Amino acid sequence: MSKAAARAQIVRIVVGAGKATPSPPIGPALGARGVKSMDFCKEFNARTAHIEPGVPVPTLITVQPDRTFSFVTKTPPVAYFLKKATGIDKGTAKPGHDWIASISMKHIYEIAKVKATDDHLRHLPLESIARTVVGSARSMGIRVIP
Amino acid sequence: MRAALHFCFRLAARTSSTVPRRPFHVSCVRRAANDAPAAEPQAERPVSSCPPSTVLVGLNWLKGQPPVLALPDEEYPPWLWTITSAKPIPDDGPGGKGEKMRMRIENRKRIKEQNFMSKQ
Repeated sequence: MSKAAARAQIVRIVVGAGKATPSPPIGPALGARGVKSMDFCKEFNARTAHIEPGVPVPTLITVQPDRTFSFVTKTPPVAYFLKKATGIDKGTAKPGHDWIASISMKHIYEIAKVKATDDHLRHLPLESIARTVVGSARSMGIRVIP
Repeated sequence: MRAALHFCFRLAARTSSTVPRRPFHVSCVRRAANDAPAAEPQAERPVSSCPPSTVLVGLNWLKGQPPVLALPDEEYPPWLWTITSAKPIPDDGPGGKGEKMRMRIENRKRIKEQNFMSKQ
């Protein structure tokens, strides 16, 4: 993915808060880049201690050539909030045709408020973030009603 | 089949021509029976399906976070009730942003149609 000695490598991974170190998701992904997964897991669990255990947390891990690493955590995915709000398990197989659930605009507002705390969305007006949440809901087959 | 799917994307998402085959799961669980419903709706604002003080499920992602409650309709910004409809394109005359947006939509539509027809 990157040049031999020059650049830092980036790993994007979604981990349950407070529950790191299983070998399948994290072990191979980090081990292949020379990072001790135990170190990462201890630091990750410490940093996500304020989050409900099990909530998926997308993280971006940057591994430097000298095998030190740093990581950034973000807010949970919108799909996770929508599924919990409506109680569905999976999105629909036919978005735009099958509407399997409905959600209130007030709920969308609150989800957008949570997402707005994210660094990469800070410059966007709340209305735009709410519209992206509506787009995600539509892709999952969730109808947004007033 | 592909033609039908392609043209279905063009239809407005909010046509109610298809009867829903599965029952709807409503997200607002009514738990507060004592609170009075929101005040009568203004002309531009629809009545919310979520009365004030309903618990909004699934938003407690932090430990020890109190349950998130819905507020009365007036306390939400006015743009919230329009998020499902497309933003109106401003009409600032020739050379303004509106013309650029309109041309972009038209060009993209034409390109998609040409691409589709080239495969027919």
